[in-house]
Amino acid sequence: MAVPDSRAVPTGLDADSSGWLTSLTADGAAREEAIARLHGLLLRAARFELLNRRATLPRLDRGELDDLALQSADDALVAVLAKLDRFNGASRFTTWAYKFAVLEASVKARRRAWQARELPLEPERWPQIPDERASPPADAEQRELLVAVRRAMDAELTSHQREVLVAVALNDVPIDVLSQRLGTTRGALYKTIHDARRKLRRRLEADGYALDPVTTR
Amino acid sequence: MNQTTPSDGDLLRRLLGPAAPEISCDDCFEQLDRYVELELRGADADSLIVGMRAHLEGCQACREEHLTVRALAQAER
Repeated sequence: MAVPDSRAVPTGLDADSSGWLTSLTADGAAREEAIARLHGLLLRAARFELLNRRATLPRLDRGELDDLALQSADDALVAVLAKLDRFNGASRFTTWAYKFAVLEASVKARRRAWQARELPLEPERWPQIPDERASPPADAEQRELLVAVRRAMDAELTSHQREVLVAVALNDVPIDVLSQRLGTTRGALYKTIHDARRKLRRRLEADGYALDPVTTR
Repeated sequence: MNQTTPSDGDLLRRLLGPAAPEISCDDCFEQLDRYVELELRGADADSLIVGMRAHLEGCQACREEHLTVRALAQAER
């Protein structure tokens, strides 16, 4: 486990946050006791996240869910202790710590839910083009834009951009699952999605489509 | 996992993402705790952390984690 160097506690912290930092950077038994309390806090956060996701993990029994929570808390504890010197008091310490546990638990849950599943990289849910006479005007406008988006995806995006956007945006593949299979990170994949969306927006706007009244409806 | 049929509007939002400039996933994680507490205090979190709201609209994973961290922080208040 990473052990941070002793450091001065930043000024201006609330009393609880200051207490956490003081005890986590202390020596001996006081620090060990604080680490145990921190692990308990992270474990509660991880369990909360996993219980929220219970419906996506139907094959996991209670013991396996507890194991996943424990792994998440263990990994979050390592991350929190390694980054302790980056806590600057912009929030309470507990809120800052929670985000590490939630990240670990949510990523593990998403990956477990898709374990051994093949990733759908081709569109599974392009809607059929309906008879326009049967559609209200607003629906027809959205459907027309969707057809234009599909054309723009074929014309403007690289095959990698298209596969990533289709998998995540159309086929509900969690970005953390796709990043693991492709050997990359969430941030890098989201950048791919972001760049693809910019290209699509530019093309559609150049073709005269008014995007936001339609996409924000 | 969720195979319910989304509306055309949902599909457009997913494919085109937010119109406004957004921060990255890494910046979102860095700022998440501060953003949550600004929200819970009733401050104008979206003006103080520009690009966060757009990112949460565009990134489902970060959006889900934001909701959980906010629920946990709110429970402590």
